[in-house]
Amino acid sequence: MSGIRQFFNRNGVVLASFMLIAVSIWIIFMILLPQLFMLDFSFRFNLPPAQVGGPDDVYTLSNYEFFIFGSPNNPDPFNVIDVTVFLRTLLAAICVTLFDLALCYPMAFYLAQSSHGAYARLLVLSLIVPFWVNEILRAFAFRILFGTTGVINTFFLWLGIYDEPIDFIRADIALYAGLGYAYILLMIFPIYNAVESLDRNQIEAARDLGSPWWRIHWRVVIPYAKPGITSGCTMVFMLSAGALAAPQILGGPSNLWFTQIIYQWFNTGGNWPRGSAYAIVLLLACIAFVLMMMKIFKVKLGEIAQ
Amino acid sequence: MRSSTFLRIWVGLFVILFFLYLFGPLILMSFTAFNTPSFPRALPWECFTLEWFGVLANDQDMMAGLRNSIFIGLGVVLVAVPLGLAGALVLTQIRQRVRPYYYTVVISPILIPGVVLGISTLIFWDRLGTMFNASYDSLFYDGIFLTIIGQSTFVSAYAMLVFIARLQRFDPAQEEAALDLGATHVQAFRKILLPFLKPAIGSASVLAFLASFENYNTTVFTIASEKTLTTVLASKVRYGINPSISALAVIIVALTLVGAVVYEILRRREERQQQGISAKPLNLGNPVTYLVVLVFIAGLGTSWMATRFDTASCKVEAAEQKRLETERRIRELQQRRMFESGQPGTQTPAPQPQTAPKPTPGTESYPNIFAPQNLAPPAEEQPEVQENGSYQNIFAPQNLAPPAQEQSEEQPGQPEAQENGAYQNIFDPQNLAPKKE
Repeated sequence: MSGIRQFFNRNGVVLASFMLIAVSIWIIFMILLPQLFMLDFSFRFNLPPAQVGGPDDVYTLSNYEFFIFGSPNNPDPFNVIDVTVFLRTLLAAICVTLFDLALCYPMAFYLAQSSHGAYARLLVLSLIVPFWVNEILRAFAFRILFGTTGVINTFFLWLGIYDEPIDFIRADIALYAGLGYAYILLMIFPIYNAVESLDRNQIEAARDLGSPWWRIHWRVVIPYAKPGITSGCTMVFMLSAGALAAPQILGGPSNLWFTQIIYQWFNTGGNWPRGSAYAIVLLLACIAFVLMMMKIFKVKLGEIAQ
Repeated sequence: MRSSTFLRIWVGLFVILFFLYLFGPLILMSFTAFNTPSFPRALPWECFTLEWFGVLANDQDMMAGLRNSIFIGLGVVLVAVPLGLAGALVLTQIRQRVRPYYYTVVISPILIPGVVLGISTLIFWDRLGTMFNASYDSLFYDGIFLTIIGQSTFVSAYAMLVFIARLQRFDPAQEEAALDLGATHVQAFRKILLPFLKPAIGSASVLAFLASFENYNTTVFTIASEKTLTTVLASKVRYGINPSISALAVIIVALTLVGAVVYEILRRREERQQQGISAKPLNLGNPVTYLVVLVFIAGLGTSWMATRFDTASCKVEAAEQKRLETERRIRELQQRRMFESGQPGTQTPAPQPQTAPKPTPGTESYPNIFAPQNLAPPAEEQPEVQENGSYQNIFAPQNLAPPAQEQSEEQPGQPEAQENGAYQNIFDPQNLAPKKE
């Protein structure tokens, strides 16, 4: 209580109440309550509006049961489609993350340590440009690139490297390339920021002492850039696993992304409680991933979300 | 020395490839906006046209979506920037022990998937609406309002990060001095803190607007029956596309480039003012400069072409070109058949790879090849088949070349077709019965 009085003394009544009200609205009505309502909703039956709050409106685990075991007359031991899609989404998101890491770490290192002045700034600036192009348009660009009659197929057919157009979309290559592309910036900037503050003398000291380049990276640069790497990996994983536009546009017709299943429950499926349950599953997976990253790399949350 | 040169080449190659990956797709997409085929494609290049920009301007859906997007973006700026500012100020003053918990909560919207944020916002307001028995046209079910709230949830966190970064450099002694000298808290805030935060407010607003403008994952759930530019775009890209989308992309890319250049110029000017020295001239040795120059030249080139180029006549020309190309291929094919018929035995599967017509112009029109009409050799052709002995390959999928769209273009070339023995069309179902009585 004294804390609040102190807060008011320090900021004056007007400002203190503005800050308190704004922050409470944000935290309570925009962050916490919606998530709790969604959690609550995921434990309910899909009832018509008239019956909501009536005697049938009771808690149930059926939505989660459906995710794991499928409908009651499902012959398989578990809900093969949804669980497979869920696991494949997580796995693919990890692959996209690793791809981005492999691509961005050298680039970030180059930007931060080997380029200077106006040149470095221009490179950084040109990294930002593609990022501000709409997510959907970026996915669309990859469709032009990878479609059956797309640039790559046309070009290689013309060169005569192969005869039949390759269906990159069905093979999900377009999707992975598009997702990796979409989140490059979120990988490169945290690493860049981390590496940039590394004192060059440390690298030179290691080199003078005879360390080969890969050991310099392994023992000096990577440990130093660890928070940045963790942050980048977490953001890219979260955004890939939670991506909706790119899988809708670039995904093969038979390969769904987990967010697409959630989307279907809300739209064509018309079963919001079940959709909420699936969203909770996704949320839990993401929280688990963040906790895992924090544990493995021993970083704090504040270092991840920069 | 040698190994360092070697390394440098590799690094240069990597940087070039990296930026190719970054810009290639966007550049190719931009090309499709100026190409005539109605399905967006960069290759083969047919004719230069600006018609897709006209199509874009006349697209009512997209224009309505654009209006909504701008409105929502402004709304998000108005909600998220004050929230982010308050969040950052509270963070600087909150007690050490509670700070990590507070930070975890306010930063979590950045880490929560956008889909989940959209769903939770939608459900929360829907349930509230049910509790208050609100009608369906009230605020609780209004797509625009929900979208502003849903997007602000995480955009506020972005704004907060911007403010935190700026506040770290703030010297609280200034404010204390003002308070000691008798200023009220509000005055000190307005005269000291706000001016200090002005650049951060500017960049937070821009960031908030852009983040809102391009958001899809949250919006698609909260928007309900309304539409924004991104939802219109997404449905267009999924269900039927023409290059007007590329035209929009060209506009956005151009605006972004201009924005980036303006930003860089402003930053340089600020730097120059601060340091009192002139900024270095643009480094001519770097790929980005070349890229910018290239884009500029491409822009000039296209506008020059636009004034000189007659799209309509080019289209006719392109059609003619296509027809000639098809005929040439057919003739080639025939010659090969004649040649092969001289040495039977070698021909069966081998010739397909090298000589199969390049499916460039119409790969999408192959689906018919397995249609029953196309497979069985029509009765009328039997004599010819026997005569040449080597026609069995003609039913291989790649050889069925003349795709549907080109057949109509071949109409003017009828006499020539007869001269060639009319082989090219023999597998076209329409040509079977009536022509060869």
